[in-house]
Amino acid sequence: MTPVSSKQYTDDVSLLMVLIDTNPLFWSSTATPFSFSKFLSQVLSFLNSIILLNQLNQVVVIATGFNSCDYIYDSSLGHGNLRAETLLQKLEEFVIKDEELNKQESVDGIGSSLLSGSLSMALCYIQRVFRSGSIHPQPRILCLHGSQDGPGQYVAIMNSIFSAQRSMVPIDSCVIGSQHSAFLQQASYITGGVYLKPQQLEGLFQYLTTVFATDLHSRNFLQLPKPVGVDFRASCFCHKNTIDMGYICSVCLSIFCKHHKKCSTCGSAFGQPQTSVSTSNQKRKAPDS
Amino acid sequence: MPQVKIIAKNFMDMVSSLPAMKLDKLYENAFICEAILRSLPPLAKKYVLQLLYIDVPVSASSLQEWVLVDGASKHRVAVDRLIQLRVFTETVDRKKEATYRLNLMFQMNLRKHVVHGGVLPREPMAANITVRLPSLEELDNYAAQQWECFLLHLINSAEVEVTTKSISPSMMKVFQRGLLSQRDNEGSRLTESGFQFLLMDTNAQLWYIIREYISNSEDRGVDSADLISFLLELSFHVTGEAYNMNTLDEIQRITVKDLADLGLIKLQQGRKDSWFIPTKLATNLSISLSDASSRKQGYVVVETNFRLYAYSTSKLHCEILRLFARVEYQLPNLIVGSITKENLYKAFSNGITADQIISFLQQNAHPRVAEKVPSVPENVTDQIRLWESDLNRVEMTPAHFFDDFPSRDVFEAACDFAREYSSLLWEDSKKMQLIVKTEIYAHMKEFLSHQK
Repeated sequence: MTPVSSKQYTDDVSLLMVLIDTNPLFWSSTATPFSFSKFLSQVLSFLNSIILLNQLNQVVVIATGFNSCDYIYDSSLGHGNLRAETLLQKLEEFVIKDEELNKQESVDGIGSSLLSGSLSMALCYIQRVFRSGSIHPQPRILCLHGSQDGPGQYVAIMNSIFSAQRSMVPIDSCVIGSQHSAFLQQASYITGGVYLKPQQLEGLFQYLTTVFATDLHSRNFLQLPKPVGVDFRASCFCHKNTIDMGYICSVCLSIFCKHHKKCSTCGSAFGQPQTSVSTSNQKRKAPDS
Repeated sequence: MPQVKIIAKNFMDMVSSLPAMKLDKLYENAFICEAILRSLPPLAKKYVLQLLYIDVPVSASSLQEWVLVDGASKHRVAVDRLIQLRVFTETVDRKKEATYRLNLMFQMNLRKHVVHGGVLPREPMAANITVRLPSLEELDNYAAQQWECFLLHLINSAEVEVTTKSISPSMMKVFQRGLLSQRDNEGSRLTESGFQFLLMDTNAQLWYIIREYISNSEDRGVDSADLISFLLELSFHVTGEAYNMNTLDEIQRITVKDLADLGLIKLQQGRKDSWFIPTKLATNLSISLSDASSRKQGYVVVETNFRLYAYSTSKLHCEILRLFARVEYQLPNLIVGSITKENLYKAFSNGITADQIISFLQQNAHPRVAEKVPSVPENVTDQIRLWESDLNRVEMTPAHFFDDFPSRDVFEAACDFAREYSSLLWEDSKKMQLIVKTEIYAHMKEFLSHQK
């Protein structure tokens, strides 16, 4: 993966978009190995160290909530030095707002946070940076995610992943929950980022600085964690279930778990299914557009 | 950029050449640690971050494990640099196994930074105390103007009326050393490196001057380590903010005055307090030369008929152009000149090379022509190069001359011997004289002594 070259900047100037999972359902669950405040203090130190590395480095933090997501910190607006107070204040405001939204439309607790939304926001920000001029820092996205995948967001997330791939923005993922995330595995795999699920979360800072602080230039020379196995399973478009096998529209490649008479996406009419599904319709690759 | 020998590449090279004791002392200042870290190659930065919270020595092999085969050379460069700057302390144990540890002071300062976030060296003054502060644009103009005045002053240009709040003459002498050659009868004249200096961009010039300033500091009774730490600290101030002079100690106050003459700082006097405002020149100090963010807009247009138009009001630009072109007339915002053989010969004899002139013209090309490829017409660049090679028609080869051979046989044998080494440059068999290249002089002597 060769990032967009920026000649006038030195090689290691980075724009780091950090997506923090603030899902209250995840952080309050008993399975969560450590508290949100501990997590936050380690992440803040990590952000400090990124800014420390180069005066041109830029950090943007996006909070991924349960119902919404928002920018909570942008180092280019301040004096370059991370002001933890402003970040924490913004974060608090965000969490309160997120909670209010929850009351209005009570969602049944699947417990997934709005990853697709924050990914899109990060990509929008990066696009704006790309268009700001010929010289810009090299962007990358880091997802610090804990809650489980929401199959309902499958299409949106896949679309974000492909647009990240197109603009050559690697998505790094650091999974802090107890389970692997199939979405993030795919995201990092497709965009050439690093996927890591730390074994000992107490040492999160060390994981972050050792693996995720590496700028894109240095990645060419370093051995970083390789993907062990990627869960490529897709979600069906009709019931948003994660499926191993299903039906695919031969025209638009939409995925369904049951046989339909008509494709709900493009409207093509299907024939009768054969009694035995002989070919595995497991979706290996999503359309490249 | 014309690469010049006279320049230390940046601050950090100077810092790394300091004696160990002073270097350790420098690391007590958190800003220096920060500046040093930022100056490191990317891989070295990463190693520092990786080892930040590791309290035991880490073996070289375990550090090496992270590196792919392609990166081995980069790895070596990074580690060497870290050791050179004494950020890494290297110990080799009995099994010849090297281990590294971060410099304790350095580590502690960086840890503090990571946990608490960066702080400013000193708080800017509240806006209500100071009178109106200059805008960033005004400040940039001020810096550029001040720097230009200084340069004009430096080259002792005849054109310059004394406009600078002149730097002390002794200081000026220090800066001029190496750039000007002093001759009693005909006044001072720019030396080769002086010309090259003028053709460099502002950042590079600044480095040279600051370097001279620092290396001369001991003579003025200022500790060079103190000065370096103050200059680095200065680069962490915010451009355009006012800082109270009371926060500085005596030596720093003197330094600040010197820097104000160079345009690094603007001094302002209020009713009660006085304060200094760092300009972009100062805050860019810790950034290495490679960073071209301060690239200025060009102003020179060269035509295929060797005429040269410079849209500039600056006297300095005029002086620089005069180095290699004939300035024909000067309008308020335009200098018209032409590149002639005579002027170029003058430039070449002063030690400027054709490549330097061409790269100067290309780098300062007016935006209108800068888009074109090439920005300077090819026939002009070719001609400049041709004129330069005209001067180098004679090729020098160090040689030795032999004559007074005792007999013709010995002479012939000597000629054959030299021919075998293909080092015979000239022979005259009648007078029995020959000239050979220096390389084989020793062999030749030995050979002749055997002949006797």
